[in-house]
Amino acid sequence: MPSEYTALVNALKSLTQGESPDTVTLPVAEDEWYTRPDAVSYGVVSLDFEADAILAEGLKTDTAWEGSVDLFSMARNGAGWVDLITAALTQHCGASWSLNSHQYERETGLFHWEWAFQVEG
Amino acid sequence: MPFKIEFTGMDELIRKMDKLPEVAAKVAAESLYEGAGVVADAVSGAVQGIATEPFKYAKGGKRRKPSPEEKAIVSNARHGVAKFKNDGNTIQTSIGYQKAGYATLKGKTKPVPVIVNAINSGTSFMQKQPFLRKAFSKSKSAAIATIQAGIEARADQFDLG
Repeated sequence: MPSEYTALVNALKSLTQGESPDTVTLPVAEDEWYTRPDAVSYGVVSLDFEADAILAEGLKTDTAWEGSVDLFSMARNGAGWVDLITAALTQHCGASWSLNSHQYERETGLFHWEWAFQVEG
Repeated sequence: MPFKIEFTGMDELIRKMDKLPEVAAKVAAESLYEGAGVVADAVSGAVQGIATEPFKYAKGGKRRKPSPEEKAIVSNARHGVAKFKNDGNTIQTSIGYQKAGYATLKGKTKPVPVIVNAINSGTSFMQKQPFLRKAFSKSKSAAIATIQAGIEARADQFDLG
């Protein structure tokens, strides 16, 4: 696991908002979330594949890993989590992230944000 | 990429410089088309790698894989290089399923891009399989190299007669 990715996962898992003691934590699962949490908003973060590599004499010296962060929310504005997630991405991935898609699921009523990011590993 | 343009006198210089944008746009478009083909081939190959399982409803919050029917729709749908756009400074194209049309799945007619997006980005009830992002990221270096090689192969066109 790239260390930047581990730091990003820890940062996303510790995302909270609201005044204490009514602090709300975003449920974030790594890789696969097999039980959908009973929450207004939840997140999924995963490391998807190797995007690119620099070779020296046929051996990999630098590797770029690509992953994604998903936010599912019943609230149209993401209940305030969008700004916190993008701030965490900027802190840990610099400029190498982008909003890949934003969709609405008619069946479940969930709004879905997907950010793709690349980290060095 | 430097190219040499020879001229004698201002008249010839002006004549050649007038011609240059036209030639540059033509060379850029032709090279871009070759590079876009590399990415489009990567997408066609990545579609074959989608994992499937027979359709079942996602129960108990479990996320399912796409069904073989959904994969067949995605792999048979029209996809490839879109029409080129030239806004004067840049020439752009996009690769994907923009004009893939509609498909009927379990008695419901849905736009194909919606099915593609559900597989590529995942939903709350379907596992994510980012085949488009993977194809784009992995073929990026090869596409750039192809475009550069295409421009270099057409270097003689810049010797404006």
